[in-house]
Amino acid sequence: MIMEKIAELFIILILVSVVLNVSSPFIKFAIKLYSFQSLMLAFYILMGAVHFNSINLYGSFAITVIFKVVLIPYFLFKTLKKVKMDKEIDMYIGIPEAVVFAGSLTLLSNLIAQKIIKTGITFGSFVFTISLATFLIGAMLMITRKTLFSQIIGFLTIDNAIFLAANSITHGMPLLVELGVLFDLFVSILILSILILNLRRNVAV
Amino acid sequence: MYELILILPAAALIVSIFADVLWMSYLQLAVSVLVFCAVAAIALSFNSVTVFLGGFFFVDYINLVILITVSTLELFVAFYSFGYVRTEIAGGISKRKFKFYYFWKNLFVFSMMVSILSNNLGIYWTGLEATTLATALLVSFNRTKESFEATWKYVIMCSVGIAIGLFAIVILYFTTSQVYGESLRSLSFINIMQAGAKLDKNFLMLAFLLALVGFGTKVGFAPMHNWLPDAHSQGPSPVSALLSGVLLNTALLGILRFYQINGAAGIYYPRYFLIGFGFFTILVSAFSVIKQTDYKRLFAFSSMENMGIIALGFGIGGIAVIGSLLQIFFHALNKGLLFLSSGNVLAATHERRIDKIRNLSKNFPVTALVLLFGVMGISGMPPFAMFLGEIYIMTGVFRSNILLGFLVFILLVFIFIGLFGKILKMYIGNTDSEEAGDELKSGKTAHKEVNEGAIHPFMVYVPLILLLLSSLLLFYIPSPFLNIVKSASAEFGGRIIF
Repeated sequence: MIMEKIAELFIILILVSVVLNVSSPFIKFAIKLYSFQSLMLAFYILMGAVHFNSINLYGSFAITVIFKVVLIPYFLFKTLKKVKMDKEIDMYIGIPEAVVFAGSLTLLSNLIAQKIIKTGITFGSFVFTISLATFLIGAMLMITRKTLFSQIIGFLTIDNAIFLAANSITHGMPLLVELGVLFDLFVSILILSILILNLRRNVAV
Repeated sequence: MYELILILPAAALIVSIFADVLWMSYLQLAVSVLVFCAVAAIALSFNSVTVFLGGFFFVDYINLVILITVSTLELFVAFYSFGYVRTEIAGGISKRKFKFYYFWKNLFVFSMMVSILSNNLGIYWTGLEATTLATALLVSFNRTKESFEATWKYVIMCSVGIAIGLFAIVILYFTTSQVYGESLRSLSFINIMQAGAKLDKNFLMLAFLLALVGFGTKVGFAPMHNWLPDAHSQGPSPVSALLSGVLLNTALLGILRFYQINGAAGIYYPRYFLIGFGFFTILVSAFSVIKQTDYKRLFAFSSMENMGIIALGFGIGGIAVIGSLLQIFFHALNKGLLFLSSGNVLAATHERRIDKIRNLSKNFPVTALVLLFGVMGISGMPPFAMFLGEIYIMTGVFRSNILLGFLVFILLVFIFIGLFGKILKMYIGNTDSEEAGDELKSGKTAHKEVNEGAIHPFMVYVPLILLLLSSLLLFYIPSPFLNIVKSASAEFGGRIIF
């Protein structure tokens, strides 16, 4: 019981970090938040691993920490340093409106999750609600912000949401698949960083 | 034999890091010919589903059709690349850059083969995402502002799309894990098909919709197609040919797998979504073709249109499925020859705009002819093989719903007029004196007289051979291939709806 409460705390912290991301224009902070959010996801997986005593989930915890908490933020920071950009300037909608939107998206995903999942699975439909909300807010970040970095952050948020969903309705994907997915994610971040550097060089912004 | 298809591109990929480019181009020919022979040998002796490499990979009739398509087009592209590399290096591009060309191209082909052959849907996903990443640096090969922007759009949109596809796989995994427990078996396609009827129908439907939107982004279905014309037009021409000809089909395979699973579970309404997306894609591409000013973008929109037709055919079912499977193969050949021959024009003139290129028939007699007949072929005109695929699909559509048939037919005519009118202008139109006068006024030097002599003979004759092959296939389709197509269409069920 207490385990479930702690796991729920981690999940709530993921949602909080996403909403915080919406409310802040600073890119460095956003990358830090992403790292924090991934760490919370990793802890959630760890709770599952302890609870079900599954080697698969321990492995999943390890690779999540390596790729999402350490490697990807490290490369993003490195790129950010080269680009010398610290604040999101172009947004289609202002921050207060965006936060309100994020709130309503959370409500919406609660309605959807209630409709889809009638039976309680693993930790109940609560986790699925949060993962849907994270997914939608990540998509909103991608749409409403114009800077290339914010689009990457939005994409990474969406990815975290899918991992969360995989860990909420099942006990995580098979380790082999998860490793492949994380490696692809990592390489795509590297390629996007290369593209950002090249775009900055070619386009005088 | 089966393993060879994966091992050879992987070996070429490793060798390309160390080898000299010109030497590598010979090796690439050998590798592509060997892969083609291996696939041909498999196709000739194929009689039932075969699993290999520990159950992670398999060949069935449906992915065999796509496998044949990939290996055939890859063979021609390898020969074309042989000439392309020499022409571009003579034109002043450094050898070092082309080393990466072969590296990424082999990685691209390898990951495409992995996702086509994979039995495990998770591995399919990994391979498909890897194709996006491998082609990213090929699309931005020219290192111009436009190509970097196109690549950005391509990587971001496809990555998000494929992430939605991953969501679909997660939901499918949840559904199947109730039958098989949580193991790799729950993602194995063969096992899922066996468990078909036992699966939760609501979740399967949800998984199909997510897969349709997610992988559909990579197929280029209409509301998610933004990236496609940019990415396909910016890459080097041989890469554009592979992107348009076979990569779209690889993504479509993912949707077809989910469609098959739904069929096995007894859910038939996903086909309406395939029909809807297919029709909408044709509609959007028909209106986009008319206002294009760049000939490579024109062909990219034509690919979109053909994917729409193929999806429509799969949705309709029955005879149209045979048409769609044939169309996958024929479209790859025909689109290959269009991108390759337009690549000749681009390599010699460095000009992408349609209105800047006139009187091709004088300076590029062979290429211009291939281009013109290729456009006829891609629109489904009789002396070329795509006529056969399209007639099957249209027959199916007309049989199921006459109104839909008429609408599609009118759109196809629209696209034909748009394509043919523009290419015809490039073929015969004279550079009128007014334009020449403008150029003199603006201080530009007049165009240097460029002709086919400037490019490698392989680049001129490979598209011609493709054109002849495409024409020949209308009259004679090898019976083993036809049998494979028939068996593959049987797996979708022969029912006609409406």
